[in-house]
Amino acid sequence: MRVGEVMTREVKSVPFDATGTEALRLLQEMKISGLPVVDKENTLLGMFTEKDILSYILPSYIEKVGRFIYKDDPKSTKKKFAELGTVKINQLMRKEVITTTEDTALCEVARIMLTQRARRLPVIDAKGKLIGIIAREDVLRAFAQETQQA
Amino acid sequence: MLKKFITLIVVSVSLGFLSRGVGLSVHQATAVTIFSVSILGTLIFWNFRLSFAFLGTSVLLLSRTIDIEHLIRFSSLEIILFLVGMMVIIGLLKEEGLFAWLVSMILRIPHLTAKKFFFAISILSALLACAIDEVTSIIFMVAAIIEICDYFEIDPRPFIICSVMTTNIGSAGTVLGNPIGILIATKAGLSFEDFIIKAFPLMLLCLCAAVFVLLIWYQKAIRELDQQIKRFGANEILMRLISVPPERHLKISLVIFIFTLVFISLHHRLELALSLEKNTILLVAPLFSAGIIMLWKWRKAREFIEKDVEWWTLLFFMLLFAQAGTLKYTGASDILAQRLVAFAGNNLDVLKGIVVWLSAIGSSILDNVVLVASFIPVMQSFQSMHVNLQSLWWALLFGGCFGGNITFVGSTANIVALGILEKEKNIRMTFFQWFWIGLTVGIITTAIVWIVLLVVPWY
Repeated sequence: MRVGEVMTREVKSVPFDATGTEALRLLQEMKISGLPVVDKENTLLGMFTEKDILSYILPSYIEKVGRFIYKDDPKSTKKKFAELGTVKINQLMRKEVITTTEDTALCEVARIMLTQRARRLPVIDAKGKLIGIIAREDVLRAFAQETQQA
Repeated sequence: MLKKFITLIVVSVSLGFLSRGVGLSVHQATAVTIFSVSILGTLIFWNFRLSFAFLGTSVLLLSRTIDIEHLIRFSSLEIILFLVGMMVIIGLLKEEGLFAWLVSMILRIPHLTAKKFFFAISILSALLACAIDEVTSIIFMVAAIIEICDYFEIDPRPFIICSVMTTNIGSAGTVLGNPIGILIATKAGLSFEDFIIKAFPLMLLCLCAAVFVLLIWYQKAIRELDQQIKRFGANEILMRLISVPPERHLKISLVIFIFTLVFISLHHRLELALSLEKNTILLVAPLFSAGIIMLWKWRKAREFIEKDVEWWTLLFFMLLFAQAGTLKYTGASDILAQRLVAFAGNNLDVLKGIVVWLSAIGSSILDNVVLVASFIPVMQSFQSMHVNLQSLWWALLFGGCFGGNITFVGSTANIVALGILEKEKNIRMTFFQWFWIGLTVGIITTAIVWIVLLVVPWY
């Protein structure tokens, strides 16, 4: 089975000029945790997830400082959350995105998802344009169907 | 990119030809060329420094400029193992929350005033750099400063600059403060006690001078913080912002760290008592503690080694030391040392001035480990010329540490602190915002060291 047979073709994406707040609203409306970011020509620019917002609003040094417990919310977190209304999506999104193509085998996508810890992969064409998205759920559903048919 | 690469090759090859022109042999000129590529490579292509080190070392072996046995000997494995041990210990302390606990202590300064804050961060930065290392200590100092400045809604830049500069000064106080400390200690045969008796008091003197200069320079920022403290009231929210439960593991980690520090500080006496080779205990103490940690936390042992040890940097150091050693092995450094001594008119005082100022200026541009590694073969050649070396080693140490304050790329601590500032506050410091205060502090502290080395016979 190939990616093209199971991927979602109607992909909702975040426009490259959206702000953090607009992108977050989109995620909340769609009840999903991440979306691809595209330009006017639908070329894939990056991926935006809820995790990107968390890493923006929390201090970057928390991992370096080591183990501790927040007993209260620091002022900076609230301030940074408020700033999301003016911060452009390209400052928040992840630019190094693992992608796949329509004719990739499903097992290969599963391997990438497992080894790269990816929940979903954008599917692009030869020109880098976004043509679909495939999630772990799609892969597992396809495997289940294939097994039932066999 | 290509232009820079061509410049690097042209400058290095020209240096090689120049070396031949002044009478160096083919092997000596090759060693000079390869070492120049490594030094200039780190300056121009920081991210590729390890590639340059690998390629350069391969050329040295292939051209028979050095043999494998000497290459291994000069790579100073003992220093690398010391640093590996310390990195594992620091990794444990971080994991158990010691650094976060220190941040919480700074946030909880009672009856906070701007001057109290200024003195606290300056003194703590210097002393913590002495006890751990400058790069680790600056991370949590900057974290605490940004939290406090955010709370009182003031510009963190002046306080971050103070903390970074006092960190660089403090890093000269002990063997542990900076990789160049252990490098100099092992090559010069200096003990931790020597550092405590000679380097630490001189560091304190320079710290006082720097704090005085910074206090005057940033008096406006200090006044502004005082006004904000009056406006916002006490730092009550900051006091309860973060906590680290004093768990048993944190206490055990602290005991291991103190045990390591005690052994490091007593290493010279223990070595004498046990008739061990010089600096054996100094090098063994962190390794022994790291071994205990990996037995205790055996599930995470691999993580400590893979994540907390900076192999990229350590491999670069190893090959850099080997390449610098090639200068000694081929005799190139002997010729340079003879020229330097002749230039100084066989006068030790002039030589002290040359070493302290050259290393300060050099480390304002170059990584101080690179700079000290290049100086070491020359210093060793001085020894064969019966020059009294100890004062020159101190000159190299202080010049290498204090020169880092002059520019914002002068030391790793500067780069790390400004990186956090940019990421957190979107503040990108310009070269001159740093340079004028950096130059002032750099010149004053280096001049103090120079005068002390000239006047006090103790050194």
